[in-house]
Amino acid sequence: MTAPAPAPAETPAEAPVPAAAPRRGAGRPPGARAWRTRVSAVLTAATVLAALLVPAVFPLDQQAVDLAAKLRPPSWEHPFGTDELGRDLLLRCVHGLRVSLLVGVVAALVATVVGIAVGGLAGALGGRTDRLVMRVVDVFASVPHLLLGIFVVAMFRPGVWPVIASVGLTHWLSTARIVRAETHSLRSRPYVDAAISGGASRWRVAVRHLLPGVLPQAGLAAVLMVPHAIWHESALSFLGLGIPAHQASLGTMAEAARGSLLAGAWWPALWPGLFIVVPTLAIAGLAGAWRERINPRVRSELTL
Amino acid sequence: MPEPISGPTHEPLPEPIPGPTREPVPGPATGSALEMRGVTAGYDRRAPVLHGASLTVGDGEAVGLLGPSGCGKSTLARVAALLHRPRAGTVRLAGRMAYGFRHRAPRELRTTVGVVFQQPRLAADPRLTLADLIAEPLRATGRRAEAPGRLPALAASVGLGGDLLARRPHEVSDGQLQRACLARALVLRPRLLICDEMTAMLDASTTAALVAAVEEYRREHGTALLAVGHDRVLLERWCDRTVDFGALLPR
Amino acid sequence: MTARLSVQELSVRFPLRGGRTVAAVTGVSFDLDPGECLALVGESGCGKSVLASALLGLLPGNARVGGAALLDGLDLLTAGEKELARRVRGRRIALIPQSPASHLTPVRTVRSQMEETVRELTGAGGPKLRGAAEAAAERAEFPADHLDRYPHQLSGGLAQRAATALALVGEAPLLIADEPTTGLDRDLVDRTADELRRHVDAGRGLLVITHDLAAAERIADRVAVMYAGRIVELTGAASFFGAPGPRHPYARGLLEALPERSFTPIPGMPPELDALPAGCAFAPRCDRATGDCAAVPALAGSRAGAVACHHAYSHAPETADA
Repeated sequence: MTAPAPAPAETPAEAPVPAAAPRRGAGRPPGARAWRTRVSAVLTAATVLAALLVPAVFPLDQQAVDLAAKLRPPSWEHPFGTDELGRDLLLRCVHGLRVSLLVGVVAALVATVVGIAVGGLAGALGGRTDRLVMRVVDVFASVPHLLLGIFVVAMFRPGVWPVIASVGLTHWLSTARIVRAETHSLRSRPYVDAAISGGASRWRVAVRHLLPGVLPQAGLAAVLMVPHAIWHESALSFLGLGIPAHQASLGTMAEAARGSLLAGAWWPALWPGLFIVVPTLAIAGLAGAWRERINPRVRSELTL
Repeated sequence: MPEPISGPTHEPLPEPIPGPTREPVPGPATGSALEMRGVTAGYDRRAPVLHGASLTVGDGEAVGLLGPSGCGKSTLARVAALLHRPRAGTVRLAGRMAYGFRHRAPRELRTTVGVVFQQPRLAADPRLTLADLIAEPLRATGRRAEAPGRLPALAASVGLGGDLLARRPHEVSDGQLQRACLARALVLRPRLLICDEMTAMLDASTTAALVAAVEEYRREHGTALLAVGHDRVLLERWCDRTVDFGALLPR
Repeated sequence: MTARLSVQELSVRFPLRGGRTVAAVTGVSFDLDPGECLALVGESGCGKSVLASALLGLLPGNARVGGAALLDGLDLLTAGEKELARRVRGRRIALIPQSPASHLTPVRTVRSQMEETVRELTGAGGPKLRGAAEAAAERAEFPADHLDRYPHQLSGGLAQRAATALALVGEAPLLIADEPTTGLDRDLVDRTADELRRHVDAGRGLLVITHDLAAAERIADRVAVMYAGRIVELTGAASFFGAPGPRHPYARGLLEALPERSFTPIPGMPPELDALPAGCAFAPRCDRATGDCAAVPALAGSRAGAVACHHAYSHAPETADA
């Protein structure tokens, strides 16, 4: 057996290709997708930067109550206006965003880790373990998330961590299902057979050959879960069960704005609403771009 | 399929195959490379693909197993490689009785068999470079240190060299990937090499090159061969003897 | 209905990141007459399948295409997607799939899939639809009493016939079969080849893309050998597989690698299509190579036999110039 063909000395003397015509597949033009990805990336980056930098650059007290200036409409002094206690809404929105992002990201991480562990265990072991674990998942999934979440927060004193636990512990089910299905399909691939035949232990097959194949899907599920978790946190806080009312969170602000709306002030409701919707859409848009990278055949619309 | 292809199953075992005990491997490492007796296996309990098949491959012998697609010859190969648990029958590798399959088979018994599969794309972990792919069994068995010494010569013997070893599966052709899969099957120096339709997807020249590489290796190491396929001309040219799949089954 | 395919100087390039370019197909020209079968053979990765995709307009978006592929005057390379979808695919060119089982929808009977295709392509409806679907099945010798079965209830051979029947519904005069026999056992290869041959004898043109030389021998009238994106030999199947044999050293090596012949591989491996050597791409593996091979040899000869080699084996009197 000789070595492969030697490397080329220079570029081949190829015939020039005349009238080169690009040909495109069907579907949405790639330009539109790139545009969506770019807008999503900019909005996500802006959100994260605002949450990180604004409180550091403007160390103003978002809790500063100024009853003389309550329910002021947007102005130069208060670009977003003030709430019913005269607190600056811009500052409070940014602080609320911090809480919501923290809850969203950490809860999504918790849910993903739990989901990978449970789904991976069921998928890799198969048989009776698999059936048992997945029935438990079905039972959990049959209870509405919010109800389950309320049950979890009710066991603790109000605060950020119970909310994270509540969201994380109710959202791992879909990840577990995805990971389990993916593991199942990977497990019957010949390359797993080849690894077993090559002496690989159960643990090595799971960690070196199955887990890396599952991670992109699980990672995508995690990103898609961040907006979910933000919504969930807002919902809990809106119901008065999540973040304590004095602490700014997008949910508590929306809740407080209900009374103001009746008083004819629209701005205390608008900003928290926008701050919930825009970042979640942006993150979902990024996740959609990621999904198309993993699996280019899926040209799905973004789903929340 | 009610039962997954892989993984442990839980119905009581038929008599000849004892359960997964952790006793030392019985029997001396002598005798035929592969001895299968009365093997019944399949994926559906009611309709086994294999019914009472028996096959012996002598030490250092090359046996070609011929049969049409779907006849069960690949299942037989998987049972022989301890990758599929039969419902009944016995499998001996180098004289040692197999008492477990897949992960339940002791590692030193599993690694006496090297397997090359039909579709290299499916049989290669897409994330590994060809060098890592070939060395993977060494790492899995804690012999990583041997890789630098063994790899270049082994890769060269299957016709791989240069920057090919640093590439990943999607950057090489089917033929090149199959060469790497062959090297992986040989890296632990198995007593028996099983080639399950190794060349079915490949062109004539690559087929001849891979067969030449297998034969070169076998001349040097005395490895036994079970080549499974449907191409009679190829297997008759390649192997010491060929067996028709139907002849393995009881009359 | 007949059609003549004329491919002229077809080239396909894929630009890569980093300025490199994959030269998948370079300067390919051939004609395919009605009632003729041309087999395109070569090692995997030599550009065969890209050529087929180009003819069907199924190349990915980054492909750069040059040359022309005329099907009765219509250039397949410049035709719009709408034109291809509405008037070409299925109607003037039919693709015979590589794995028939995966081309049939598993949850529907063959009849319902056949009727759907008939309705789509011919506009037949109502009571005539049933008859038209049965006639279409009969053309591919798919037994009418198996029409109500699901794909998994069919044998491999019958699944192949069902897929072929679906491909033939539109009465396309030109068939393209991409590796129709890969992974099949010998009996099924022979049967598939004979099925396809019947359609050629019925006046259709057939382009078979395969690495299986035995299948090519069984079915083809002419053989085109492709190496590194170029056709290096284009000749009659009888003289290629029989006496006097191929003239290009690569084609000769490929044939000699068969187990029924000397079973010796061609040394080395084909070059990468993004890093082709200057001059003849086969020269580094060729035992007849000399300094002349630094220039790319042109495909020269007659319709009876053409070869692109400075040192071709000389047995055809009119081009014995090596």
